[in-house]
Amino acid sequence: MAGYILVDHVKKIYNSGKDAVEAVSGVSFVANKGEFIAILGPSGCGKSTLLMMCGGLEPTSAGTITIDGQQVTGPRANVGVMFQDSTLLPWKTVLENILFPVKIQRRPLAQYRERALQLIEMVGLHGFADMKPHQLSGGMRQRVAICRALVTDPDILLMDEPFSALDAMTRDEMNDALLDIWERYRKTGLFVTHSIREAVYLADRVLVMTRRPATIIADIKVPFSRPRDASINNHADFNDICDQLRRLIEHKRTAWSETKAA
Amino acid sequence: MTSGSASQDKPIPEAAYALGLPLVLGVAVLVGWQLAVRLTGISPVIVPAPTDIVRSFGSIAGDLLHHGWATGSEALFAFILSVLFGVAAALLLGFSTLAFETFYPGLVVFQIIPKIALAPLFTFWLGIASTSRLSCAVFISFFPVTLATMTGLKRADVNALRLCQALGASRLQTFVSVQIPYALPYFFSGAKVAATMSIIGIVVGEFISANAGLGYYMLRAQSYGETAHLFAAILVLCCIGLFLYIIPVQAERWVRRWWWN
Repeated sequence: MAGYILVDHVKKIYNSGKDAVEAVSGVSFVANKGEFIAILGPSGCGKSTLLMMCGGLEPTSAGTITIDGQQVTGPRANVGVMFQDSTLLPWKTVLENILFPVKIQRRPLAQYRERALQLIEMVGLHGFADMKPHQLSGGMRQRVAICRALVTDPDILLMDEPFSALDAMTRDEMNDALLDIWERYRKTGLFVTHSIREAVYLADRVLVMTRRPATIIADIKVPFSRPRDASINNHADFNDICDQLRRLIEHKRTAWSETKAA
Repeated sequence: MTSGSASQDKPIPEAAYALGLPLVLGVAVLVGWQLAVRLTGISPVIVPAPTDIVRSFGSIAGDLLHHGWATGSEALFAFILSVLFGVAAALLLGFSTLAFETFYPGLVVFQIIPKIALAPLFTFWLGIASTSRLSCAVFISFFPVTLATMTGLKRADVNALRLCQALGASRLQTFVSVQIPYALPYFFSGAKVAATMSIIGIVVGEFISANAGLGYYMLRAQSYGETAHLFAAILVLCCIGLFLYIIPVQAERWVRRWWWN
């Protein structure tokens, strides 16, 4: 079971020579199967780049990423992705959008239709299957994006700040929806976010990243059992963990600006 | 407040402004034109009065119909060919990097040529037949379609492209299911330009060599000093232009309805 996703001394350097920018600098971590890992860090710290490298959407400049014993060299069929934007195709209905991966990967459509409809029910979009994205709210669109990521039943879900464009209330709602989904379909999840509370609320482990060049400075276990609900927000441990994470990020930030000034 | 005064206070609906103001301006210009011609006594060979133009319609209706049909049908045909050719070129250049790198610089250099200046060459090569005028018109109007459609193909939503990449979509799948639909609005703006360009191309072709068509008719009217007929022909050209322009506008409306449900 151990070591489902192995990220080993991964680096990402954009450009070369004098213009070289080191976005990710020697990151290593291990994700176990069924684990939900939040990658927490300030905006533009290279955490999205790291996620994209795990999905095979960006090549690594050094180091290796291995999923289930196989080195990642390109996109894999058993990975579902979610972006900050719902990225629905505006001319397709909700159902067609959810079935888009099925169509692209040439899977039997009839077989997945049923599953797509079940997913629509589960995320509370009953009756919206034939609507177009512009008729939905931002939260509803992200629900459709979740369904689309899950429709082919991937083993891994990569989420790149999927709720950061939503308003605070919708975001809380989506976090609860994601917890629900996690109970039902246990995947291995990597979830990039810059919200400390969101990371602690959702994840089993929180990896804290620094600003560019990004490295992981802490790997914090979140002790709350599942199923979780909003009540853990008031738990003393919850706030302790959040404080600890905040201090880690702030400490690094000041350290960083001091080295800049020197 | 009584109901009587309420109806008096009723604001003029916005549509009345939008339609009424340009109409009032149009009438004012015509009246001004008429008065200016009559008061200055300027020769109708130089500037005919609006009433002269209207009167000439009656006497040359048959001619206008005949020549208008020749120009209109050729312009329509040129427009259709421009769209087909323009889209085909855009799809080829948008899909194949090799084709893009080979042809695009040449195409841009080509654009620098004022293409109307090439019209005599087409006559030289293709003679007085309609092929010559069609080639001239298509040559002028296909490029806006190509350029606009290609821009659209390149402007497809970055995240949607990422999604395709993540799903392991082939180049062709991405092209057909994401890039082409995103290019549609751009294509229509290109087609609108082509609609106006194709009629220009045909008329220029007719100026140079034709034995029918409004361009030909206008040159003849000019040489006879029948300026009112010239103006009448211009009016017919406007109608043809409007008709051609409505085609892509209406097509875009249909596509948008399908797109937005």
